Amino acid sequence: MSLFGLFDVGRSAIFASQTALSITGHNIANVNTPGFSRQEAVLSATTPAVIGKGFLGRGVVVSNIRRNYDNFIQSQLIGQYQNYGKSSSLTRTFGQIEQIFNEAKDLGLSTPLMDYFNAWHDVSANPEGQTPRTVLLQKASALVLNAKQMERGILNNLKNTNEEISDIVERVNSIASNIAELNGRIVQSEGGSSESANDLRDRRDTLLNDLANLVEFTSYEDKNGSITVSVGMRNLVSGENANTLSARANENGDKDLYLDGIDITSRVTRGQLGGLISVRGHIESNSLKGLRKLIASITKEINILHASGYGLDGTTGNDFFNPLQLSLRNFSTGANMTASITNLSQVTLNEYSVTFDSASNYHIRNNDTGAEAATGVYVSGNPITFDGIQITITGAVTSTDGFSISPLTDSIKNFGVAVSDYRKIAAAGTGTVLPGDNAIALAIAQLSDESIATLDSSTFMSFYKGLVSDAGSMSRAASDSLEFDDNLLSEINNMRESISGVSLDEEAMNLMRFQRSFEAGARMIKVTDELLQTILNL
Amino acid sequence: MRVTSFMMFDQLSMSLRRQMDEYAKLNSRMGSGKKIEKPSDDVIGMMKAIDYKVDINENEQFKRNIDEVNFNLEYTNTVMNSVSDSLLKLKELLSNGGNAQSEENMAFYSRQAGEWRDYLLNLSNSMERNRYIYSGHNTDQKSFVYNSMTYHFDYQGDSGEINVYLDKGAEIPMNIQGSKAYSFSLTGEPPTELSDGTPVNYTQSTDPATGINTITVEIGNAGDPEYDTFTLSNTMDLANIMSFAWEYKNIDGSDLNTDPDVNKEMAMHRLSALSKPLDDAQTRILNVQAEIGTRQVFLNSQSTKLDQNNVDLKNSLSKTEDADMDDTIIELLKVQTALQAMRESASRILSQSLLDSLK
Repeated sequence: MSLFGLFDVGRSAIFASQTALSITGHNIANVNTPGFSRQEAVLSATTPAVIGKGFLGRGVVVSNIRRNYDNFIQSQLIGQYQNYGKSSSLTRTFGQIEQIFNEAKDLGLSTPLMDYFNAWHDVSANPEGQTPRTVLLQKASALVLNAKQMERGILNNLKNTNEEISDIVERVNSIASNIAELNGRIVQSEGGSSESANDLRDRRDTLLNDLANLVEFTSYEDKNGSITVSVGMRNLVSGENANTLSARANENGDKDLYLDGIDITSRVTRGQLGGLISVRGHIESNSLKGLRKLIASITKEINILHASGYGLDGTTGNDFFNPLQLSLRNFSTGANMTASITNLSQVTLNEYSVTFDSASNYHIRNNDTGAEAATGVYVSGNPITFDGIQITITGAVTSTDGFSISPLTDSIKNFGVAVSDYRKIAAAGTGTVLPGDNAIALAIAQLSDESIATLDSSTFMSFYKGLVSDAGSMSRAASDSLEFDDNLLSEINNMRESISGVSLDEEAMNLMRFQRSFEAGARMIKVTDELLQTILNL
Repeated sequence: MRVTSFMMFDQLSMSLRRQMDEYAKLNSRMGSGKKIEKPSDDVIGMMKAIDYKVDINENEQFKRNIDEVNFNLEYTNTVMNSVSDSLLKLKELLSNGGNAQSEENMAFYSRQAGEWRDYLLNLSNSMERNRYIYSGHNTDQKSFVYNSMTYHFDYQGDSGEINVYLDKGAEIPMNIQGSKAYSFSLTGEPPTELSDGTPVNYTQSTDPATGINTITVEIGNAGDPEYDTFTLSNTMDLANIMSFAWEYKNIDGSDLNTDPDVNKEMAMHRLSALSKPLDDAQTRILNVQAEIGTRQVFLNSQSTKLDQNNVDLKNSLSKTEDADMDDTIIELLKVQTALQAMRESASRILSQSLLDSLK
């Protein structure tokens, strides 16, 4: 080896140290960059030269810039972000619902409900008096107002949930197109070589974490380095292409998720979207339906008793609250349906669906019990009576047609005090005008302690307590699991940080280390130069 | 494990966040004085608290009902005392004037009886707020009115009881019907004789709708010239008959008999025969007063029970939802200390860096 070879060794040392120093600088610069993985210069000795009896080393090269990264932890992180996203949206939404039922702050229905029945007690103690009757009407109005406020609160919450679903869908789409773009750049820069595009991959991982927080997905990386993301078994990102996730309102006004033209709503169970979809379903079928059922049963039971009594003016058959109304939905093309309540005391407060088979038989099914309420041969215009309800369907029907009947949907919307004249409040149980007769007032006052068949044989108050308890338990469970998921997420993040994070102390040491090796390399060249000088001076 | 500065920052900020969260929670508990501020704080406790609140509220209502009943009974009792006094006066008139001979005396007794009759009528039509208290359910009608066709006093009320609840499922009537307070009850009364041996027979018929008993009094034997029969259904009738008897007249103002002697004898017989229904009316008043007394005793004990019950319930409610201030303050101090310690240690750990030591 010639003396000039020593220059090359010195140069390789300088170059390698310089590269390592710039990597250290890059690490220090990115100490606070989220998702950044610490990089490291992998040094290796160059191919040695063969001389006589052995191999002579010819310096150092940076063979690779390694990214400190653990694939397993990253996939765990994505899974945990999905759980965390779900818990956080559950906590947020249930926390709001809980406030609507916050009996601890005397919000909610228990006070107006008690006041209402107490007002009937006062009427029973002074049935001929105008004052207790007027007070009763006021208390009834307060009950109505509170029920409406609570329903509005729940409906607003559902509306916000649906708006949030749309917002998140937009963010998902923007993240998806970024991932697709990064896919392209990673494939391009790695281009079949063994080098990895460290910083681009870090950015893509960060985007995947963000996406996991929003929506449940599965992903895999192909051999080119491009990652495929699928949501609800449909591809959201494939190579450089991103599909658009869309939120479309269904007939209930709820937003459903569509990807690739397919409804994937039920397949999304985690991430914030999964949380919002499940919380929406729970609120609709529990808090909202329960509250409507409670009001419907109050309307029903009070009206039955009240209509059997007599007012101070001798009138009878008056409803105290606005009569219960059925809300109908028509899923047919050529047929129409009308429905009315014929026997209030037989009404179950369950929801029904009407379907037809190919042989033109109609089937009326009770959605809550699953039992068939009525069936028979369909004849257009013939009234069908079941469970105190009479329906009449007209027009041609096919086996794909259907109707739904619900006494609950509008129960709070229509809830109102029907009695405007205090004299029409029916406190008396007998026909002749007897101002001192308080039989019905007593019976209604007593109703608050009676178990109501349509409320699964619980009292009004205990049924309402069930709603409060449900709202409280759900909120509690959500915040407990958020705490758990938060802890776990931070634990996994720590593990990731432990491997990929930048330590300034470490980098300071590296700084010194490579500075020194750079200096040594430079000294090496100086020594070589002096050696050459020596020879030249011979 | 490799520890990086980011991990330290993250840990510290998380711990600080938790401590601040706890701090805020305790602060809010201090402010409201409540342990349960929303259902999810303690779902079971919240359910219990609602139960207690409902029970307390119900008890308060029952107590209001008791006050209402008590007020009504109190008032009724006062009226009953006056009725009792009036009947006593009538009794005195009867025993003093039963044999009055002089025209002047007779007129005096007649006038007196008439006055007590009017007073009794007033009492029977006592009104409390907008309710005629003796009219049963028919509270907007006077209990008794004079019927100028029959010359009797007619009951316009019914036998209705105005019940109110004093407890879950426990009712009590708050009124005394006119049929109880002003009528008679002479069922199965054996025929008796007046002091001069004239037989007297009392028969009673009941109006099922009103509960009013009408007593038919027969004096003497049918066919006798001094045979006399008349009906009375209430104490006003009784006083009315007395008043007219002292004038030797029937209630329609006609003479009892064309023969003045017979007329006088018949009038005296009437007065003597009225003694029994009057005794009975007095007994009935006593019974009514006893009934009112019994109800009031029951009301008082029920009221005491509700009070005691409310104290227990309020204690339980307070235990369930109120924050223990001592505990809260101690907790608050603990969190405060922890926060302070964490801030200090954080400032020391975070300021450490190798870069500072490189010269």
